[in-house]
Amino acid sequence: MSDASTPGDAEPEPEHDHEHHHDHEGPGYATPQAAIEEGEREKLAYVMSLYVGTDVDASDFVAVVDLDPESETYCEIVDRIELPNRGDELHHFGWNACSSSCHMEGLERRHLIVPGQRSSRIHVIDAADRRNPELETVIEPEEVFEYDLSAPHTVHCIPDGEILISMLGDADGDLPGGFLELNDDFEIEGRWEPPGEIEMNYDYWYQPRQNVMVSSEWAAPKTYYPGFDLEDVEEGNYGHQLHFWDWEDGTVEQTIDLGEEGLIPLEVRFLHTPESTHGFVGAALSSNIFHFWRDQTGEYRAEKVIDFEDREHPDWDMPVPALPTDILISMDDRYLFGSNWLHGDVWMYDISDPANPRRADSLSVGGTFGDVQEVQGRELSAGPQMIQLSLDGERLYWTTSLFSSWDEQFYPEEGERGSVMLKADVDPRKGTMELDEDFLVDWGECPDGPARAHEIRWPDGDCTSDVWQ
Amino acid sequence: MGDETRRHDVTLEWPDADRERRTIRIGEDETVLEAAERADIALPFGCRTGACGTCTGRLLSSNGNGDADEGTPDVADAFAYRRPPRALKERHRDTGYVLLCIAAPRTDCRVAVGSSVHAELVENPWK
Ligand code: FES
Repeated sequence: MSDASTPGDAEPEPEHDHEHHHDHEGPGYATPQAAIEEGEREKLAYVMSLYVGTDVDASDFVAVVDLDPESETYCEIVDRIELPNRGDELHHFGWNACSSSCHMEGLERRHLIVPGQRSSRIHVIDAADRRNPELETVIEPEEVFEYDLSAPHTVHCIPDGEILISMLGDADGDLPGGFLELNDDFEIEGRWEPPGEIEMNYDYWYQPRQNVMVSSEWAAPKTYYPGFDLEDVEEGNYGHQLHFWDWEDGTVEQTIDLGEEGLIPLEVRFLHTPESTHGFVGAALSSNIFHFWRDQTGEYRAEKVIDFEDREHPDWDMPVPALPTDILISMDDRYLFGSNWLHGDVWMYDISDPANPRRADSLSVGGTFGDVQEVQGRELSAGPQMIQLSLDGERLYWTTSLFSSWDEQFYPEEGERGSVMLKADVDPRKGTMELDEDFLVDWGECPDGPARAHEIRWPDGDCTSDVWQ
Repeated sequence: MGDETRRHDVTLEWPDADRERRTIRIGEDETVLEAAERADIALPFGCRTGACGTCTGRLLSSNGNGDADEGTPDVADAFAYRRPPRALKERHRDTGYVLLCIAAPRTDCRVAVGSSVHAELVENPWK
């Protein structure tokens, strides 16, 4: 049970495992369990907010949203960090440090790295003052293009204070993509991997204790930027592979082709437990969720474990795919949550046995078929998209914008009305979700005009960014 | 010597919005987007490298030709591209779409601009 205290020592050793975190020097939590137990309720959210592609003459911004029910400004955007340029398309972002660096003395979870997906501009925001973050540094696109990379996507910190960003294209917006590394002064260090390891890129996640990283595939920027075109599917311009990397070497060890059932594998998540080699990826276009794991021979394998059926719509020509665009795993690794953006669902599956996910609950809200089409009289113009879960797994939040040009195609009203952020109360014991109709954050009311809202992060770590060494 | 750059009148028209059309004089060494910014006119854009299509305009007429029944005016006559227009497929290039972030004028012309033009490029395939 406990470490036996050495008789005569002045300081007794901590008795329980979860107390060991008191020794850690750096940012974050010592274990996923510590994040659940010690993490406070989320009182603020940072949300990517954008005007790119519209006729609103304003730059994209980072919204600071008040999530404290005790606060007078609950459900309001209480601060907006406006960026210096237009045309960025803020999309995904991350912290300079997470729980993977909890051993690094002197490192703080303080800077948000906020890339522009379309502009390839990378912003560094100092969030030392959690309610009033400030723009600190901007890396201009030309500096990024020098490494023959563009279209920055997923930001994770490397456990020693550096930052790694998946890049979806070359300097011309064509293939191949790669990875860009920033040093802890937020300068470009160079390319992380030897060029040529992969063609397509999208999201990635790493499990340092297993020396593995996994990356997924969207398409060349020039393919997905203008909108979704079936011609590109026919021509094989969209991704369907997963790459398993040697994390130390930065080289691909194994590639798994998910085939027809695994078209456009987007968000990819390992379980939080650092020992685990299990994870999940959502194949958006095929509307499937794959489980992947390392087998006894040391090879990774992937298998389809969830399949969302197309649905007929009386006014549409073809059956409508669900388009599961985001997934996440609860901090206790018990549930997989996701959003079906076209159908209009959020769902949770019990993944206690990751090879056999068991449907726990779902909510039909927004989208093409949602049972709930308005909240507090506010019409929902699109389906649930980017999701984020509280550390304790009891509150699920989501926004509704996918990508400005894809929004225009599937939910043209989204641009006119703006996005919303909604919330469900989750009961992890029963495995149920309930829409909280008292909660609504409306980007339709932004001073410059309706804005879109995309990825969500908490100030002190969340289920889609924290990794443990 | 004076300014040797040839200039052309480019008229910007917003199809959907209640906005007045604007004519700006643009040198052959300047893109439409740059000239619009110089004139303080907001046009949508994203990558500025010809990859994303956010800045897409549609050529309505060039040198007085192309309106109504005369078919689609040829973009290649009206504009020179600084770099390859990657965001446009052949079917788009053939039907008058033009990437204003990398296109410099070679004739006087009229162009439909604004975010609704970009939205014409691809439709919802299921609908
Ligand atoms: S701004 Fe991206 S193609 Fe012109």
